Parts: sequence; C-alpha cells; structure tokens
Amino acid sequence: MVNATKGLFISCDIPMAQFIINLNSSLPASQKFIIHVMDSTHLFVQPHVSEMIRSAIADFRDQNSYEKPN
Amino acid sequence: MDMVASLPAMKLDRLYANPFICQAILRSLPPLAKKYVLEMLYIDGPVSAKMLEEWVLADGSSKHRIALDRLIQLRIFTETVDRKKETSYRLNPTFQINLRKHLIDREVLPREPMPSNIVARLPSLEELEAYALGQWECFLLQLINSTQAEKLTNFSSSMMKVFQRGLLSQREKEASRLTESGFQFLLMDTNAQLWYIIREYISNSEERDIDPADLISFLLELSFHITGEAYNMNTLTEIQRHMIKDLADLGLIKLQQGRKESWFIPTKLATNLSVSLTDSSSRKQGFVVVETNFRLYAYSSSKLHCEILRLFSRIEYQLPNLFVGAITKESLYNAFENGITAEQIISFLQQNAHPRVAERIPSVPENVADQIRLWESDLNRVEMTPAHLYDEFPSRDVFEAACDFAREWCGLLWEDSKKMRMVLIYQDLPEDPTGRFHDFKQFVESNFDVFKWIGLLIILAQGSCILLAMALRALGQNHGSNYYSDDEYPPARLPLINHNLQPPSFVVGDPHFPSKNDAWNVRIHSQT
Repeated sequence: MVNATKGLFISCDIPMAQFIINLNSSLPASQKFIIHVMDSTHLFVQPHVSEMIRSAIADFRDQNSYEKPN
Repeated sequence: MDMVASLPAMKLDRLYANPFICQAILRSLPPLAKKYVLEMLYIDGPVSAKMLEEWVLADGSSKHRIALDRLIQLRIFTETVDRKKETSYRLNPTFQINLRKHLIDREVLPREPMPSNIVARLPSLEELEAYALGQWECFLLQLINSTQAEKLTNFSSSMMKVFQRGLLSQREKEASRLTESGFQFLLMDTNAQLWYIIREYISNSEERDIDPADLISFLLELSFHITGEAYNMNTLTEIQRHMIKDLADLGLIKLQQGRKESWFIPTKLATNLSVSLTDSSSRKQGFVVVETNFRLYAYSSSKLHCEILRLFSRIEYQLPNLFVGAITKESLYNAFENGITAEQIISFLQQNAHPRVAERIPSVPENVADQIRLWESDLNRVEMTPAHLYDEFPSRDVFEAACDFAREWCGLLWEDSKKMRMVLIYQDLPEDPTGRFHDFKQFVESNFDVFKWIGLLIILAQGSCILLAMALRALGQNHGSNYYSDDEYPPARLPLINHNLQPPSFVVGDPHFPSKNDAWNVRIHSQT
C-alpha cells in the first residue's frame, strides 16, 4: 500500500544542502530531521524544523560579517 | 485615474460636465484610446465593433483590447448589443459635447491671473519651487517621524493618522515603525508619492462630508493653471477654500496676502498633477553619486534625503551640504529585513543620480548594482515547501498514473521513477485569494487583549441575561399566584411583567448595566 509521509520539501543549492546534512548529523539520533535525501539539491525533512534551519543558516551567514565599530 | 473610474455613474457624468476634466482624462488615456476618442468625436451614431477592429493591424489586438477596456471603465464609451447580437460603441454624450466645445473655443479658466499692480511681491519661479519642495519635505518628515520635523504643518493629527494608515504600523506601546509599504513609499519618486497622498486625502473626504467629485474636479482644474501666476481667492467656492488650506500645507499652492485681497499661486507640483506618471519631464536635480568602491556621496542638505539614505547605507560623515555613506552588506541586510527590495534601492539611486554621473550609462556602477542583487538573493538560498512524500507504490503503472494526475493538477514537486517515490504540495485550507482571512487573523492577534476583554464582556452579559430571566420568571409567578378569582368569566390574562414599569434599555456590554438592574429591582420591590 502506498505510504504518505507529511514533511517539508527543501530545494536549495549544493553547499546549502551539504550544510543541512551536516547540521543533521551533528544532532543526537532522536532529533535527526532528514527523512530522505533525494539528490544533491533536494531534501525531504520533518515539518517542524524550518525555523531551526533558517536560524542556523542565518547564524552561519553572520559569522562571516564584520561590523566596523563606530 | 483609477479613482475617477471607481466613481459611480451619476458622479462621472457630473465630472464630465467640466471641460478641463475631459481634457485631463483624455491626456491620461493610452495612445490607442486617445486616437479612438478623437476619431469618434464627431460621429454621432454608434460604431460597430467590427469597424473599430478594422482600424487596427493584426498584431495590435491586445492593445486594442486594453484601450477599449479602459474607455468602457471610464464610461467614455458605452457598449450596446443590438438584436443581431452585434456590439457597437458610442461616445458618452456629455463628454463628447464638452470636448468639442473645448476644441472649438479655447476654454478660459474660471479665473484669470491678477494684474501686477495689485500683486506686490510675486515670488520668482525658483523661490516658488524651493518653497514647494520645502513644504513637501516637511510634510513627509512629519509623516514618518514627527520628532524630526522642525516645523509642524497645520494638518490635524487625525488627518495625519489617515495618511499614516498604510505606511506606519500603529502600536500604542512602542513607537510607530515604518511598514514595508512605508519604506517603498519613501523610495518612490515625488509624483507617485504626491498621487498616493492625494488618493488617501480624497478617499477620506467622504468621511468629512466633502464630495470626492468636487475635490477631483478642483484638483484637475488646478493643474491647468499657470505656475507662478497669482489667482484671486474670492473666485473660489466655500468647499474649495477649505481644500486650498490643506493643499498649501502639502506644497501644491502658496498663499499670499496683500492689503485688501488674498491670492494663491499654484506651484509646479500642482501643475504636474495631470501629467501622466510615466513621463516626468520636469525631473528635479539628482544629488547622489555612487562610486565603484561602494561609497555614496549625496550633495544635499535635506533631512529627508539623509533619512532615506540611512535606510540602506551606513552613514560615514554628514557635513552641512554633503552626506557620505557606504553601502555595506550589513546595512543592506537591514534594509531587506524592513521589506525593501534590491530593485527599489537601485532604481532610487538611478533616478536621483547627480547630473555629473547621470549621463554615464549605467549611472549606478554595474558592480555595485550586481552586488546588491547578489546580497539580496543570498538571503533566499533555501526554499521550503510543506509537502507529502508518497512511496511504496504497488506497481509501476499506478506510479505513472499518479504522477500524470499530479502533473495535471500542478502539484508534483519531485518524482523519482527508479525508487518510485513522489512529492506533492500540501495544502490544508483552500487558498484564500483575497488574503482577507490572513488580515483578519493578524488583526485579532495584534489586538488580542482588546478581544479578550470583548469576549469576557460577552460571556458576562450572557450570564447576567440568564440571571435576569430567572429573576423575572420568579417574580412573574409571584404576581400571578396572588390572583385568584371566583368570577364566571375566565380571568383575563395578566401580563407577566407589569407594563407600567419601563423595561431597561438592553445593550450588550453596556458598562452601566449593573446599576440599572439595581434600579429596576428596587422598583419591583416597591410595587409588590
């Protein structure tokens, strides 16, 4: 019988996909969120992690910024 | 002109009685529509749709459609379908007569410029323009941040609230912040901003009992006056005098007073009103130079420009006539968070380019423009869609059939035929195209405490209703049981409640309700 799983479909570029996979493997086994890796640019994850992924990406992006002190 | 199109039919006909409005509307039509109107100007009977289509080449049919829709929307063309099911078009008779009159005898304005012996010190055109810009900037500064404006305009605070309605988010506890549309408003050019404010002003006029048709007709008439000439105030009607004061605050008009008379002088902002938004031949001087090292030099002393540039750049120095800033990643991220898009920033910089760089193509260096766009797309690297994954199909045919069905309904996001898996978009509630449900949800969430109190009040009111009903029933029974009769005739039915007593006027959520209840109870006790 066909199985239907509810989740979030992520499409991004390759570095971001690797970043998300890395994030997933750094979490303990109970919190892993990737259900399936479709190919190098598409992932299927659990539905509730969208905010966590966005904030992790924002943190990663902010690590690269430098604000000149006034 | 969409405002004009949204007026009801009767008001439109009254508007068309004024030949200036007809001319202004003619100017605002798309070119093909203008041609149609002029060709039909002297034809009295209806023209069939087929003949109209013959005037156009085959590849212009979409423009033809657009022009016709516009004309019908403005009620310039009336469409009639006769018995043979053929459509034909006729020009609106009032419009036609007035436009013909205007063509034949050059219509004179209801007022003439005053002779120069009465008018003493007429400001020169430059002074007038500086005055208009100064007023407009003051108004804008007051709009976005009332603490920064040096002198306040005469608008009442309720009027300012109306203007701020779409642009600032009004919250009682925090200071009001600019919304996304507020930021985009600041980056628009002056004509577009002016029209936005005037649209708000006109749509608010109905609440103040001023007919919007009068407002629109006066504004359009104003745009035909000559800039810099004085016109006497006593040629205006009562309503127009009210409007003149508001328009002077916006910078459209300068008011002056002589010894005996007072007059008004329309500025360039007013006469540009009827010019269509796309061609702005009177572009004001640009002031921004953008260099390839991402630095910004703005030769302007106005606070408004400083505020706008601060939205997306980091300020380095500010001298009395120069503003130096740098476009950095962080400042742009700030701007993007506030809802400004890269295209708006780039078009703002291009439109306000200093004359020394304006001739260069492109006026904003390519590396700066590209980098701004790249930084914007850096924020959206990941796309997430709620979806369902379907796998373990019993057979390949079922999988193929399901795939085709999903493709038809445009719900297929991903399919993998080797492992027989597919992903479809997930939708729980049907899409609300108007977005009103979302607005309503936001409204409730934002005023949650008010709604909490309203909910409590409703429940309390219902509880007290029940109590009141029980009390009434008990008292009514008392009254009835006192009555016993030996009469032959059956007793007339006594009303349960004594009608001599005034029933309390019942209003849900009325705060005075408890005290009224007591008064009523007292009266009952005094009766029995």
